[in-house]
This record gives sequence, structure tokens and C-alpha cells, in this order.
Amino acid sequence: MSYCVNCGVELEASLKACPLCNTPVINPNHPCPLNDKTPYPTSRGQVEVVKRKDLGILLTVVLSATSITCLLLNLLAFQGVLWSFLVIGICICLFVFAFPAVIYTKTPIYLSLLADGVAVGIYLFLITFLTTSSYWFWRLGLPIVVTVTLLIELFTFLAHKLPFNILTASLYLFIEAPFFCICLELLIRHFFDSPMRITWSAVVLTVCAIIDITLITIISKKRLRNEVRRRLHF
Amino acid sequence: MPRSNQRTALPQRNRKEVWYKLDLSAIVYPTLQRKDFSSVYRLSAVLKEEIDPALLQEALDLTLPRFPTYKVAIRKGLFWRYLEPNNRPGPFVTPDIKNPCMPMPFKANNRYLLRVYYYGRRISLEAHHCLGDGTGGMCVLQTLIAVYLELQGHRISPSGFVLDIHKPPDAQELEDAYMRYANARVKPPRPGEKTYRVRGTKEPFYTLNIIDGIMSVKEVMKVAKNYHATLTEYLNAVLLYALLQKQEADNPFRFRPVKIAMPVNLRRFFPSKTLRNFITMVYPSIDPRLGDYTFEEIVTQVHHYMQYYINEKFLRGDITTNAATQRNPLIRIVPLFIKDFVVRTFYTKVQDKNSSAGLTNMGALKVPEDMKPFIERFDIYMGQPFSSRTNCAIISFEDTLTINFASSIIEADVERYFFQKLVQDGIHVTIESNRDITPQA
Repeated sequence: MSYCVNCGVELEASLKACPLCNTPVINPNHPCPLNDKTPYPTSRGQVEVVKRKDLGILLTVVLSATSITCLLLNLLAFQGVLWSFLVIGICICLFVFAFPAVIYTKTPIYLSLLADGVAVGIYLFLITFLTTSSYWFWRLGLPIVVTVTLLIELFTFLAHKLPFNILTASLYLFIEAPFFCICLELLIRHFFDSPMRITWSAVVLTVCAIIDITLITIISKKRLRNEVRRRLHF
Repeated sequence: MPRSNQRTALPQRNRKEVWYKLDLSAIVYPTLQRKDFSSVYRLSAVLKEEIDPALLQEALDLTLPRFPTYKVAIRKGLFWRYLEPNNRPGPFVTPDIKNPCMPMPFKANNRYLLRVYYYGRRISLEAHHCLGDGTGGMCVLQTLIAVYLELQGHRISPSGFVLDIHKPPDAQELEDAYMRYANARVKPPRPGEKTYRVRGTKEPFYTLNIIDGIMSVKEVMKVAKNYHATLTEYLNAVLLYALLQKQEADNPFRFRPVKIAMPVNLRRFFPSKTLRNFITMVYPSIDPRLGDYTFEEIVTQVHHYMQYYINEKFLRGDITTNAATQRNPLIRIVPLFIKDFVVRTFYTKVQDKNSSAGLTNMGALKVPEDMKPFIERFDIYMGQPFSSRTNCAIISFEDTLTINFASSIIEADVERYFFQKLVQDGIHVTIESNRDITPQA
């Protein structure tokens, strides 16, 4: 039986300090707590993740039905061009985007983002069936999709592994943005067989570099950081 | 024989098609539901022997059908939410957790809105407030314990909170009793005033800090009597005193009124057997801007407030005011999502700011004589507070008075001032807690 010397209350035998004032229990007669069994369990509970099974079924059925009926309509009635590939591509994209939210919520984020990139790639590839050549897809479409996917994966990685708040998120974004613009410009030049040099993306790079330096300064100085947070809170 | 007993019970064959409108209080609770907040309360009973989980599950399976308004799922209509019978498997008893009253998403747990836990000698029942108030929940818990004890071979006679599971539910147990008594000729305005709010460092998600104080009923009664007050009045005054001290320590230059939101069990004034919500709020308060109050003055103020407001007439007026909103035909035809938005905004901006802390007193709990030897004590937790503050719940059984504080902030100043005052008044207090305490070096 121990009492808190500060509050005067008796403390339950397993307590090592007073929960009211945090004063440690020092009982020379009992150096260790008398009772190991605490009145409360030590394991924390978590809310069960809600399974959206019905929505998953509904989504799969609606998207599959749309794809199949459009394909049949295309093959049997309106046979001119393979327009149904556009609808099928959209259905594939919607299914892949919604998969981690409604069907399997435990899908790793990096895998679902990769799958999203692949789905968009497939959609662009299906469009090639409607165009005269697939040259644009291999030289421009696919490399842009790959670049965007990689940059989004990188952003997610940074958000998970490094501190994440409105300021750091802006920093990550303004670091990635010029890289994207440079890649985009180089890819466009490559597509049109122009000389490989950067022009407008250099402007973006300069502007973003200034913003990045400002953000790094704000983030590294606590006083500035708090000032910005106060002024921009919503 | 009271009139209520003459009412016929619901026919067994129709029970499957029955659905229930949310009662007047219950309408608000689902609206406030957030990812990290649900209006969930917890009732616990500490027995004298270790709990057998298999037997407890069996007892729960036998008990719950007796309470059709608790064996339900909540659904959304176009204009209102409603409760419909839930025949999915469950609810299942589970080992207790460190963070009670965690959020209760409506679609989780097979759509059940109650949970039953066991830990050592303790059985805990957590229920969403939209099903019913503490009295209804206590009926479920005590009946569950009685069935559990009967399965162990003891004989428990149903009376008081323990209902006979072999009898069909009485229609009055399922009614929205508010509507029967919301008939005052005037609608008194609701009090609306910004009060002192406890500031503190918010704990991370999935944390509910609990501090229990256990003491003797006789000792507290004796002290209360010295102040010419009842036990509830005295403990209310102690909480107001603690909040005043906290306000003075936080901001000694800008005072606001300190107000406690205290639910009153309306069954004491309006005969009803309902197991659903039948409570209304009263707000004992102290305004430190008028001058410094001594503790004796606070007790006197609370005593007179209680005497003046807690009576059949004032409470009827209060119910009528609350019911008027729900009865208004214009409000009724507004779609649910707009109602949700308006209610949530009103609650956040006005109602939540109307009190500094919550305090509920279940009073001296009665259990059937043959069940007494098996029970050590009861606990009640008001659950996670909507905003960062402390909720206090009081319950007594035989000579054990338990005061349970639940808060989602790190600081325990209000609790400290509260229990220190009790100790100063000569009351012996034993403290239990679920907090992670790292003793100061």
C-alpha cells in the first residue's frame, strides 16, 4: 500500500507513479511494485476496418458489364473503329484505382500506385488501336506515364519516411516539379527530333529552386516555421 | 399496479419487421460520429471470480434477444436515421483493451453498436449512446451478469435492473418516452453561454486516459452532510472547484463561467420503463467574474441550483423545447445530410462550448439480493469527450463509490485538483489508472 506524497491519495499496487501528479512511488519497504497485474489491460484495441464487400461486387459487376456490352456492340453493330477500347480502358483504370479502397484495403501503397501507372499505360496503349501509328505511345506517352508514376512513388516514399506536414509536402512537391518539367521537355524534343536542350523547363527549375530554398529556410528555423503555421492555419 | 405493466408486449411474430425511430436524444449522437470519435459509454462490473469467456459469450447470446433495441444496426433514411433488427452473428465477447470507448464505426463489428469485454474479474459493456442511456445499458449489463451467474449454477431472481430473459419485452421498454412527456405549454429557451474550456495537449488517436478514484460512500456522505448537501451536490461542487482552480492556473486574467453538463435521469420524474435514452441536461455553474467563491459558497450555489431546476416542471419544459425541433414539419422534410451539417455545426459552435466538463451520477446501484455476493463494484465511463476536456462519471454500489474520469488530453490537472480536495476533506481515496506513467527523474 503506497500513498502519493504530493496528493495524499492511496495508489493502486501496480502504479509506479501517481497518475495525478506524476510523483514517483518510492516505498523503501517495497522497492518493486507489489502487484504486477494492472487493473487495466496493456494491449491497445483498434477499430475494425469496414469491409466494403458489397460496393466491391457492385463495382466489379458494373465495370465488367460495361466493358463486355460495349465490346459486343462494337463487334456486332458499330464495326467501323475499335471505339470500345476507349470504354474498356476507362473501366480498367477505374477498377484499378478503386481496388485498394473497396476490394483489398491492405494493398501496399507503392504497389497500388504502380498498378495505377500500369493501368494508365494500358489505357494509352489501347488508344493506339484508334490512331494510325503507335509511335507517339512508345516515344512520348509511355515515358511520361513512367516518369509521373516514379515521381508519385518517390513523393509517397518521402511522405512516409521523412517528416510530413504542409511545409515539407510543399518542399517535396517543388523539388519534383522541375524534374518532371525537364523530363517532359526532353521527351517532347526527342519525339520531334529537336536538339536536346532545356528552355522553358529551365525557368520552372529556377522558380522552384527559389521556392525550395525559401521553404528549407523556413523549415530549418523554428521561429519562422511557427510564424508561418500561425498565419496560414485553417 | 402501475399503468405501464398493463401494456401488452410486442407480438413475437412481428418482431422481425419492426424498426425503431431514433429517440429524441439519439438523433444527435450519430451526427457527431467522426473517424476518431463516437458517443460510446462504458459500464463495467467487477465480479469476485475470474470471468469465463465461453460462458460469458453463451450468456450474451441468451441475453441480447431480450433487448430488441440493443440488437440493432443503424441505417440511414432520406430524412432520418433509424434502427433495424440485426440478425448477423455476434456481438462477440473479446479480451479487454487499454483504450476503452474507442470509435464505433456503424458498419464494423457486424453492424452491432455494442461491445462486451472481459479482463480478469471484470465484465465491460460498451454501447453507442444512440441505443440508450446509462440506465438502459445497466439493465443489459446486469441481466447479462445474472444470466452468466445462472449458467454457473447460481439462482438469480429478476428484479430492478435484471430483467427476465424468458419474458417478451414490454412495449414501454422500447418507446421514445420523451414524446409522451413533451407537453409543456411553453418552450423555455436553451441556455447558451461561452464557458471556460479546459485546454490541454491532445493525446494521439486511440488513447483514452482513465483515472478512477475509489472511496467509501459513508465517508463521502458524512462530508457532504457537513456541507448541508447531498452526495451529488457535493461532488458537483468539488468538480466546479477543481475547474475554477484550473482556470485560475491557466489564465488568471481572463475568467469565464465554469459550467458542468450533468445528465438527469428523467425516469425519476416521469414514470417510464424505457431502455432507450431518457435523460436531459442541467448545467450547474459558477461565474468567477462575480467574485471569488469559497468552497462553501460553491456548495450552496449548486445545492440551490439543483433544488430549483431539477423538478418535474422545469424538466418537462426542457423536454418540450428539445422536442419542438423534431416536431417542426419544416425541419422534418429537410434531407438528412443537411440536418447532419446543421446539427454538427450547432453542436460544435454552441452546445459543446456550453459546458466545461461533463459529470454523470448513476447513483446508488441496486442489484437483486441474490446477486450481491458475486459483485465487488461497478464502474461507469462517459466515454471519449467530443472536445479536449474531462468527463467524470460516478457510481456507487454498497459502500464503494467509484469516480471515473475519462479524458483525451495528457494533463490530469482537473483530476488532481478534484481528488486533492476530497483528500483535504478527509476522504480516503484509492487511485487506479490506465495511463502510461513515466515517473519524473
